[in-house]
Amino acid sequence: MAVSCLTRALRSLTVSQPTFLSSQAVAQTKLGTHVPSTVGQCRGFLTTASLEQNRTYWKQREKYTIRPIGMKKTGGRDHSGKIQTHGIGGGHKQRYRWIDFQRLHYESEKEAKPFEEKVVEVRYDPCRSADIALVAGGNRKRWIIATENMQAGDIIKTSGVIGRMAVSANEGDAYPLGALSVGTLVNNLEIQPGKGAEYIRAAGTSGVLLRKVNGTAIVQLPSKQQVQVLETCVATVGRVSNVDHNKRIIGKAGRNRWLGIRPSSGLWKRKGGWAGRKIKPLPPMKSYINLPAISAK
Amino acid sequence: MFPETLRCFKTAAPLFSQTGLLNGSRRMSTHGKSSRQQARRHFSVSCCHTAKARPVRKHRETVTIPGLEMVTYGERMHFVPGLAKPANPHWERDYKDPRFYRSPPVHEMPLYKEKPCYVFNQRSNVLEGVRQALWLTKTKVISGLPPQLLALAENPANQIPDQDERVQNAIKHARFWDTTEDRPGKEKYSNTLLMNLLHLCATLQSSHPAIGRRIFAEKYSLAATWKRDEDLIQIRGQNGLLHSCMDPLPEVSQKQEVADTADHVLETFYPVSPTIDLQKVYVYKEEANCSGFRTDSTYPHAHTLYFVEGADARCKLQPEQFRAKMLMFSFGNALARAYTLYGTQPQRLLDRPVTVQAVGTNGRIFQLMVFQLNTTDLSGNDGIKNQVWLDKDVELYDFAKVRPLIKKKQVKVPAGLVGYKPETFSKFLALYLHGAV
Repeated sequence: MAVSCLTRALRSLTVSQPTFLSSQAVAQTKLGTHVPSTVGQCRGFLTTASLEQNRTYWKQREKYTIRPIGMKKTGGRDHSGKIQTHGIGGGHKQRYRWIDFQRLHYESEKEAKPFEEKVVEVRYDPCRSADIALVAGGNRKRWIIATENMQAGDIIKTSGVIGRMAVSANEGDAYPLGALSVGTLVNNLEIQPGKGAEYIRAAGTSGVLLRKVNGTAIVQLPSKQQVQVLETCVATVGRVSNVDHNKRIIGKAGRNRWLGIRPSSGLWKRKGGWAGRKIKPLPPMKSYINLPAISAK
Repeated sequence: MFPETLRCFKTAAPLFSQTGLLNGSRRMSTHGKSSRQQARRHFSVSCCHTAKARPVRKHRETVTIPGLEMVTYGERMHFVPGLAKPANPHWERDYKDPRFYRSPPVHEMPLYKEKPCYVFNQRSNVLEGVRQALWLTKTKVISGLPPQLLALAENPANQIPDQDERVQNAIKHARFWDTTEDRPGKEKYSNTLLMNLLHLCATLQSSHPAIGRRIFAEKYSLAATWKRDEDLIQIRGQNGLLHSCMDPLPEVSQKQEVADTADHVLETFYPVSPTIDLQKVYVYKEEANCSGFRTDSTYPHAHTLYFVEGADARCKLQPEQFRAKMLMFSFGNALARAYTLYGTQPQRLLDRPVTVQAVGTNGRIFQLMVFQLNTTDLSGNDGIKNQVWLDKDVELYDFAKVRPLIKKKQVKVPAGLVGYKPETFSKFLALYLHGAV
């Protein structure tokens, strides 16, 4: 768009200038002959052209893929260009790997049966703190969040059955909370059955299944807050991988810039109520059980 | 830019009548001032390249009430808030324009089938590698080449005069001399090396006239279909360089060995389905069996397939997947030949097994393979199996460096060709001479 504006402007200049500056034209005007209508040629500039949009919805895809997807950096801006999140910008180029957070995602034509998958590789993911694992089972492959001791070649199980007895689950297996025994460490917790994991996904975190009360389960999150969810919510057993994530040494300011984090403003601000030691009671238990059920797709 | 236009207007001032000039200049100046900000934004579009995409507008359902006519803004020719959007009938051009061709939906295509078909092509990157290919082709793998083949190259009558020296020269030509740059790229030297070695082998034609009864073919399209455990599997695509021959290759293993393969149990890889990473299609030809040549071709028998690892720049395969591709395509060639000989009905035991060889290389490491198709009854897991002799990761030489590798002021690897292994070429030669001696 900018180029077309520029060419238009230049064109108008080149057409108009020689006619104005040539001495012949001046002489002609003095003689009173007819002047070619140069005003009509110089129409001014186009100023109200719509800007071309080069925005693609890179995240919105119809079909699941394990291929890394190229991302566009937002710089913390929203669609209107306004800063929504301060301190974001720059950094190394990253590609997004689409994680299947809905662990109990049956393959088509093989529904409602427990299934097993094989871990193909465990690798670093630039878009999150935890490691991710490529698992293959049946005719498909997908990325999931890796647990602490997951290795290539492991077989992990996923089941949606809640039996009378609590299962003895291995690390990396995914079960509904109702099927697990009390005291199990869990991660990748769903808060609505079938919606996909939303809690306990960061590196090295784990929640504890505290107790099960008629059809619901109470889980302690890494923040020590307790949530009550339906017992059909699926969670993965174990602790999320990359346990030493909090022990890494950034080393210098530049490394934060590599990660796409910009320095804070540096303006002196008076410390407020957020500073200093506080003693506050535990927040009350959060309940997710009376939410309207999400419509089945 | 804008001051300039104003200046040129001023120079042109005597050209116009006073009123016209005043109007014109005022108009231009107002234009310039108001559009200056705008124009600057046009030149820096980087922000709109990177900004977050606008949230998707939700599709609103239109309610149609029978008997009621919508008041639309169609007649007004422009948008009017409050009036409905006119619904125009879909226009179809009455002539055919290939630029705007739209394919019909999949289920309306004439070749659409209810049952899916799994297609293996030259770019398939199968997860389980050779194990998966063995299962798909119902094959028993034997590591190492058959001994009678190896004995072929041991015989001094079958060797090229000055063999080792000429092979080393062929390697040096491919790695050092065949370029005007510092060093040739991998896809170039691997191809050159293969051609050099094949040329060397072809010099034996004077002593073995049967070598003259062969041709090389490139870019032929293969298609073969078979059934494996209720799944329909197809192999399609253009694969490496085919050495085809007037006479069939002799079978490698005898009847008794073939009968013994019935006891072999195929290896499974349970949580993963054997058809993983194959392309699942619903539009296909059910009886697609073609060796890529006419049935009355003079050279109908596939002798050896030569694969170069970096031939397809858009598809990089790991060695395991590369071997799987070699196995699948040698099987496909054998199967297409067997179908033309014995018909497409599954045969429990072929009277004369079809043998096809395959050689793959990346310019240093060779994968050698001899495939023997014993049966075309592939649906069950029991019964006679096919056989493959696989010699994997055979190195022709250790290093061929243009500059020496120096670590801590000590030469670790000298420049030039280092660690040439003559037995690798003798294996290559044995596969070449198979059927000609």
